[in-house]
Amino acid sequence: MSAAIGKRQKATTFQLLAPGVVWMILFLVAPIMMIVYVSFWTQTTFAINSTLTLDSWRNFFASEAYVGALWTTIRLWLIVLTLTFLIGYPAALYVGLLVKSKTVATVLLVLCVIPFWTSFLIRVLAWRPMLGKEGAINIILQKVGLIDTPIEVLLFSELSVIIGMTQIYVVFMVGPIAFMLGRIDRNIIEAARDLGAGFGRIFWKIIFPLSLPGVVVGAIFVSVMVLGEFATSGALSGRKVNLLGNIIVTQVGSLKWAMASVVGVILTILLGIVVAGFLRIVDLKREI
Amino acid sequence: MESKILKPILAVYVGLFILFLYGPFIVLSILSFQQGPEGGPQFPIIEWSTYWYQHLFGLTPPSRIAPLPVGEALVRSLTLAFMTMVTATVLGVMAAQAFRKRFRGAGVVFYLIVLGMMVPGVLTGLGTSLLANNVVGIERHWWSTAFLAHVVYTFPFAFLVMLAILNRFDGSVEEASWSLGVSPITTFRKVTFPLIFPGVLSAMLFAFTLSFDEFPRTLFASGRDQTLPLAIYGTFSVEIHPNIFAFGVMTTLFSFALLAVYGILMGLSVRRAKKMAMQEDIA
Repeated sequence: MSAAIGKRQKATTFQLLAPGVVWMILFLVAPIMMIVYVSFWTQTTFAINSTLTLDSWRNFFASEAYVGALWTTIRLWLIVLTLTFLIGYPAALYVGLLVKSKTVATVLLVLCVIPFWTSFLIRVLAWRPMLGKEGAINIILQKVGLIDTPIEVLLFSELSVIIGMTQIYVVFMVGPIAFMLGRIDRNIIEAARDLGAGFGRIFWKIIFPLSLPGVVVGAIFVSVMVLGEFATSGALSGRKVNLLGNIIVTQVGSLKWAMASVVGVILTILLGIVVAGFLRIVDLKREI
Repeated sequence: MESKILKPILAVYVGLFILFLYGPFIVLSILSFQQGPEGGPQFPIIEWSTYWYQHLFGLTPPSRIAPLPVGEALVRSLTLAFMTMVTATVLGVMAAQAFRKRFRGAGVVFYLIVLGMMVPGVLTGLGTSLLANNVVGIERHWWSTAFLAHVVYTFPFAFLVMLAILNRFDGSVEEASWSLGVSPITTFRKVTFPLIFPGVLSAMLFAFTLSFDEFPRTLFASGRDQTLPLAIYGTFSVEIHPNIFAFGVMTTLFSFALLAVYGILMGLSVRRAKKMAMQEDIA
């Protein structure tokens, strides 16, 4: 009897899961496998055929521009990751832990999350009138008298890409950290204070370690998004900053599928290393 | 002691942080009221006007600035977002429902689903178009290949939202229904579904908005007919005019309207749940 129920349950579980799992295998796993496979195909000027070769891989590592894009991607990722953490953590600390009123905390959190629901491209575009030579920042700085001539490196440079990405992705750092900070039992902090610990000590010994899973989740979100970027870098640098994503877009644009796939595989490996590295810091399964 | 100094400092900091988040958009909204058609996409405002909004809706006399090609793109994006929303939510509810029972390989399936939101769009997009273009040999369209990629992206969000809701769900009400001889499907419809409805609503909101704004996957996986984000992206490469700012304000208002509808529906369903709970108390 119970074996029959168990069997029926198994069948139900299988029926419920099958559509989703099949969808993911066909339209997520297969396409990624495809990228690996096509990276070894032979590229002719306008076509591609499935004769296996290492040519595209050789071309990638022989080209200064491509390898340069790899380093630019890693450099920009490290800078944006650091900035989102440094800028986001204090905000999360205030919203998640220091605000006493529940209503204020909720309002602030909602304010931080709302940009997530608005168009990504519009957020990128919104930096153009801010950073330009006649942009808002230059005008304000000139009015205040801090500068005489407009700062030109603000737009269409690596700096503008960094500013834009930091602003766009910082909310993905704030959210998880604020969430973890909100879960800290306030009694622990009270107890430490009663025992005479100063804020610095409480922060480093209690608050920061307990918020670390949030930092890791935020860092994974930011890393995945920044490493796969091409729109912000293209639109705010005037195509001067080329990330791996930009190379993929231009290669596909000129039907160089094999080279695009090589870059895709390199990006996948890079992502794998980064995410695995973060997961070693904290065992997320245990934390959630 | 230190936190007495720290707190006000951080309060000011959070104010600045929010300004950092919203500043660019505020500037963009101000500039969308630039005079037209001569006014450019920068300060100073020559004269306040709604010219660029009229331009957006094709209400201005023709000028050297071409209207944004948003009309058909909007219809496509809405259709695609709706298709994605329905599919992703159904898949998400089903998968999360399965996860309420322990089963072998749960870990693998979990990561397989979550992978969909973690893999960058540029990779899923590239892979999908490779598969369509070079293996299956079909043409790419926003309603076919791009739709598949959109579901890959939004299904994990729907799944995680539903998982969070079902984790807190009390299964004894379902068991009560089954033991009264109600079939599992009717039980799901009459008992389970109303209880998990707030979660379903959140899953739908995620799937719809994420699909509506989706850009990298669509860039690769859709064919020549543009969706709204692709139409916006197209304007990036040419000289920008305040009409794109007006458009940005409109889409953001649309996002806010969606959030408001979500908030109202959510409030209603919570109130209904409360009312039902009170009736039970009286009985």
